[in-house]
Amino acid sequence: MTENIIIDIKDASKSYGDRAAVRGLSLSVAKGEFFGFLGPNGAGKTTTIRMLTGILSPDAGSITVAGKLVSDKLHRAGKIGVLSESKGLYEWMTGKEFLSFFAGLYGIAEADEAAEKLLAEVGLKDRADSLVGSYSRGMKQRLKLARALVNEPDILFLDEPTLGLDPQGQDSIQKLLKRLNEKGVTVFYSSHLLHEVSRLCTRMAVIDKGVLVAEGTLDDLRRRTHKDDLRDIFLSLTGPDAEPE
Amino acid sequence: MNKLIWKKDITAEIYTWKSALWLLLTAIIYSVTCYLLLTNKELSLLDQTEMLWLLAKIIIGASLLVAIIDASSILTVEFEQETMEDLLISPLSVKDLIIGKFLTVMTVWALMYAVAVPYVLVSSAGSGLGPAFLAYIALYGTLMVGGFTLFVLGLSFLYRSFKNTLTTSLVFYLAVGIPALFSATLKANPFGSIISVANPLDAVFSSLDNILVDYHTALTANATYLASVAGFVVVAVVFLAVSVKVFDRHGIVKE
Repeated sequence: MTENIIIDIKDASKSYGDRAAVRGLSLSVAKGEFFGFLGPNGAGKTTTIRMLTGILSPDAGSITVAGKLVSDKLHRAGKIGVLSESKGLYEWMTGKEFLSFFAGLYGIAEADEAAEKLLAEVGLKDRADSLVGSYSRGMKQRLKLARALVNEPDILFLDEPTLGLDPQGQDSIQKLLKRLNEKGVTVFYSSHLLHEVSRLCTRMAVIDKGVLVAEGTLDDLRRRTHKDDLRDIFLSLTGPDAEPE
Repeated sequence: MNKLIWKKDITAEIYTWKSALWLLLTAIIYSVTCYLLLTNKELSLLDQTEMLWLLAKIIIGASLLVAIIDASSILTVEFEQETMEDLLISPLSVKDLIIGKFLTVMTVWALMYAVAVPYVLVSSAGSGLGPAFLAYIALYGTLMVGGFTLFVLGLSFLYRSFKNTLTTSLVFYLAVGIPALFSATLKANPFGSIISVANPLDAVFSSLDNILVDYHTALTANATYLASVAGFVVVAVVFLAVSVKVFDRHGIVKE
C-alpha cells in the first residue's frame, strides 16, 4: 500500500492557545479509498481537515497530500476539493455565478460551461439562475459540493457534508460521492455519524479529544470493541472509558 | 485573479445598492454645500477661492468617510460570512485578494470623484483654478483614500469583524481629522506645528489652501505636503504587511 498512499499524516499536532485540538495524529489514506474520519463533536475532525487543506499549519509533525508537503502551500494549486464546515456561500449570487466565480479562481477557461455541467451533476440545473439565498439547506450543501468539484479534484475532503440534511438530501449526496469514488476520486469523509460512514467507507479512523483511538475496517472495529451495534462501537471508542489504540 | 475578486465585489456593491446609495448621499452633500455657498447670506460673501477650498475639504472628507465604511466591510464580510476559507483553499493568494479588494474601494472613490466633477466645474467657473483644483483633488483623494483603505484592510485582517474594524477606523479618522480643523493660532505653537506636519489630512488641507487661496499650483510648491501624505501611505502599507503576517501566523482560526 505504501507506494499508493495519497494522504500521509505523521505525528501531527495542533493547539489553540493552551487547548490541544489534535495530538500526535498519524494515519494514511490510499489512492482511490473512501476513507471515513469519525469522531464526536469537538474531537478534532475539522482541525485535521484544515491542516490537510493547508488552512492551518500543524504545530508539530508533517502532512503530505498527493506527494506534496501541505506546508509548502503548493498543493493548493493541485487537485484537491474541499467541502468545509463553514457556510461559505455568496447568497446574492446565482448558483451559476457562484460556480463560475470559483471556476475562474481555478483558472478554468470555460467557467460558465463548467458551472452548468456541475450544476447538472449535483441536480441543481433547474435552479442555476436562482439566487443562492433562495436555496434550501440541502440545495446549498449540494452547491457547496459542486464548488468542491469545480477543479475536478483527485482528492475530496468533506467535513460533515450531510449535516442538517433530510434523508433525501443525505441520500443524493451519498450517491454522488459513491459515483465520484467509483471514478477514482479519493474521498476523505469526516462525520460523527457512524452509520453513514459504515455505509460508504472502505476504511475509517476514529478520533476523540484530538487523539486517534481506532483505525481499520468496520469489521476491525467490531473485533476490537466486541460489539456489533454501530452506536455501541462508537460509544465504546469515544466514551469516557475509551482507551486509545 | 485579483480582477475576479474586483469583479465579484463591484457586482456585490451594485446588487446590494451599497455604492449607489453612497453616490446619492455624496451628491446630496455636494448639492447642499454648493447651494449654501451660493445662496446663504454669510457663506455667499466668501471669496470664490475660499468657497473652493471649503468644497475641496468636503469632497475629501466625505470620500474618506465613505471609503472607510466600504473598506471596513469589504474584507471582513468574507470572515463573517465564512467565505474566506473557500477563497484561501483556492489558488487565490492573499496578495491577489488584497489587490482585488483595494481596487474595489478605489473604484468607488473614482465614482465619487466623478460625481464631484460637475460641482467643481460650476463652483470654479471664471476662477481659472478648475483644472488645478480637479487634478489636486484627484491626486490627494487617491493617496488619502488609498492610504486609509490599506490601513482599514490591515485592521480587517486583525479583527475579522466589521463592527470592530469600523469603530477603530472611525476613531482613527477622527483622530486625524480633528487636528486638521484646528485654527491657525493653535497650529502655531510647537506641539500644534508637529501635529500639523505629521497629519496627512492637515497636509492635504494646507496644500489646498496653498493652491486655491495663494495660487501656488505647481507640484514643487506643494512638495512638503505631498511628502507628508506619501509618508502616510507608506506607513499604511507597512501596517497592512504586518497585519497579513499576523494573519498568516494565526491562520483562519483566531486563537
